[in-house]
Amino acid sequence: MALTFPSVEWMEEYRKQINASEGYKKAGATWTAGPVALVISAKPEMGINEDFGMWLDLHQGVCREAKKVSLEEAQKAPFCIISDYARWKQVIKKELEPVKGMMQGKLKLKGDLPTIVRYVKASQELVECTTRIETKFLDE
Amino acid sequence: MGGYTGKVLEIDLSTGKIGTKSIKEEDRKRFIGGSGLAAKIFFDSFDPEVDPLSSENPLILMTGPVVGTQFPGTSRFAVCGKSPLTGIWGEGTCGGNFGPELKFAGMDGILFRGISPTPVYLAIEDDKVDLRDASDLWGMDNYVLTDLLKERHGKEKRPKILSIGQAGENLVKFAAICNDKGDFIGRTGMGALMGSKRLKAIVVRGTKKVETSHPEEHATLRKLLIKKSRDAMPGQSLRSMGTDAIMDLGMMTGDVPIKNWMIGEDLELSANLGGPALTEKYLTGNRACSFCPIGCKRIVKVDDGPFKTEEGAGPEYQTCCTFGTLIKNYALAGVIKANEWCNRYGMDTISCGATIAFAMEAFEKGLITKKDTDGIDLTWGNMEGAMELLHKIAKKEGIGAVLSEGTREAARRLGKGAEEFGVEVKGLEVPMHDPRGFHGAGLAYMTSIRGACHLMHLAFSVEQGITTYAEAGFQENYIGQTSEGKAEMVKLCEDLGLPCNSLVICEFAAWTYSANELAEIVRVTTGFDFALKDLLSCGERTWLLKRGLGNMMGVRAKDDRLPKRILTPLNEGAAAGSVPNVEKLLREYYEIRGLDGDGRPKKEVLIKAGLDELAKKLHG
Repeated sequence: MALTFPSVEWMEEYRKQINASEGYKKAGATWTAGPVALVISAKPEMGINEDFGMWLDLHQGVCREAKKVSLEEAQKAPFCIISDYARWKQVIKKELEPVKGMMQGKLKLKGDLPTIVRYVKASQELVECTTRIETKFLDE
Repeated sequence: MGGYTGKVLEIDLSTGKIGTKSIKEEDRKRFIGGSGLAAKIFFDSFDPEVDPLSSENPLILMTGPVVGTQFPGTSRFAVCGKSPLTGIWGEGTCGGNFGPELKFAGMDGILFRGISPTPVYLAIEDDKVDLRDASDLWGMDNYVLTDLLKERHGKEKRPKILSIGQAGENLVKFAAICNDKGDFIGRTGMGALMGSKRLKAIVVRGTKKVETSHPEEHATLRKLLIKKSRDAMPGQSLRSMGTDAIMDLGMMTGDVPIKNWMIGEDLELSANLGGPALTEKYLTGNRACSFCPIGCKRIVKVDDGPFKTEEGAGPEYQTCCTFGTLIKNYALAGVIKANEWCNRYGMDTISCGATIAFAMEAFEKGLITKKDTDGIDLTWGNMEGAMELLHKIAKKEGIGAVLSEGTREAARRLGKGAEEFGVEVKGLEVPMHDPRGFHGAGLAYMTSIRGACHLMHLAFSVEQGITTYAEAGFQENYIGQTSEGKAEMVKLCEDLGLPCNSLVICEFAAWTYSANELAEIVRVTTGFDFALKDLLSCGERTWLLKRGLGNMMGVRAKDDRLPKRILTPLNEGAAAGSVPNVEKLLREYYEIRGLDGDGRPKKEVLIKAGLDELAKKLHG
């Protein structure tokens, strides 16, 4: 069954997909830099009434926990990436490579850049995991 | 007219005569400055068939109108002439602090003619200009020389130094020119051209101000652009990790060449040599060119071991590839040491490292042996061997003399199929972005004026999505591994990139500006009635003039090509199996650019661009 993006159900499935990914397990094996928060900015006309933060507790190649958080909480994560629904949809559909999106200012990153760059392969694997989720987009 | 000082120094080194030359206002409007205006000066006054190392070949240093006006990224200047390395139009640009200082001394540029009978250096202190004996300086490396000249001319006055090391003196064909121990005009061997003139250095000190046409608008725009260049992600990335920030990502996208372009992926190499590794292990500070809020330059130090260095300018991404991935060297300290030696001798780290990679493959294939190398083991990854070879190249000793001619000539002399793995275009070693991952880069290498170039157009940043310049007509998102739509992209990249090169503005700062802002920079500085369309027209005109100069120097359609190695598919990595469709790219590009079957701009295209004289010379 297709899961709506963004939703708690989608986020939980994302956690499962991350933990099922051999690629991420390998690429993120040495990651100890802490949780990563992804924030989908509010867009009431699409039914996203408030900022939707996904707190992913990533550690050594696994996602220990995924929880919905507010923007304020998300910004407390060592790494926080913020963008609007349309951009995240592009990322999930692999139409926008996340690092390229950050360079162009389409995805706003808060966090240590060298760490992100060092784990660019892991970030690719995380995107790959989203494509394995049967996703229902709000505007489709 | 704002931005310009109105004065170009003209120095005949054969006679010691010092004068000035004025530039017509019309030419400033049509070619702006930098290498664009230098090409116009060459076209008007010099013979394209001249021997590059003869007294008839000029050495032209040109700033641009924005240099010294305190916009971010406007510290650059260009050095141009017929290239000793390629035998066609040569040019390089450099950041640092020399360009603005020259403007503060009241000069837009310097034109050198002739050859001095003895070594000299030029000293400029505002309007006081004189040639001085440099016999005691000949033989010094750039670091020693710079320190000595600063001391001699008064450290407290903070003079800026431009110099050549031993490689330039020895006419190593890819010799570079050094600005204050940290910035270089690396490409196309302008250091050899300077060495051929027995010009060891230029010392400049200026105290004047560069006036602009619309000071209030200039100040407002400058404030905006400082914020943009500082806050945008490319600026942040460059500040925190330097240009080497792109290596890890490049390894994921098939951009990084490995083992003389034979391997498509090696994650251990990027983990060892990339920006994060450089930052964590060896960075002691960062440094900025004049008026730059980004500060991409690295200051590094290797504390101990065989590659121990003093604290100084660190390697760029290109160098981390040529002395790292390209020769399969995993030791970043070795790259830093090779960079220091190249800086001291004054050699382009791209051409030098690439030529050493070529030699390593020749060694592997048995085309050269230890007998030829005086016992040096050139096995892949042997950094000690690479370093020994570097010294031989700078001194032109033994096999180093052959390699000092560059990859193309070295391959020709070695023979036995060596041309098959010489990776150059028009004699210029290919920079470290792989066209198999980004087909547009391949076309840009083929059509670049000076040979394989990653800078004078904006193709790298546009195709890789670092910038978009949507208002100039680019697509928002290009796919690297397709040749579809790339001819149009590359032409537009050139038309936008060449004026940046003429201004002269740093590409990294330009990444954070919009195309309209680039045009606005020209307008508020010079007072020219300039909009984006005028900037693009200027870019097209400048490309055509330089291409025409190239044609007059012998460039033909057959020279617009990619080396065989780059057209060989990789077996692994993100670009595995992908090669640019050269025939399609060139066919479409020739059509859009208006080139004839011989590779010359068509007569009507030249006339439309206002280049009637060039049309006459090329077509009669």
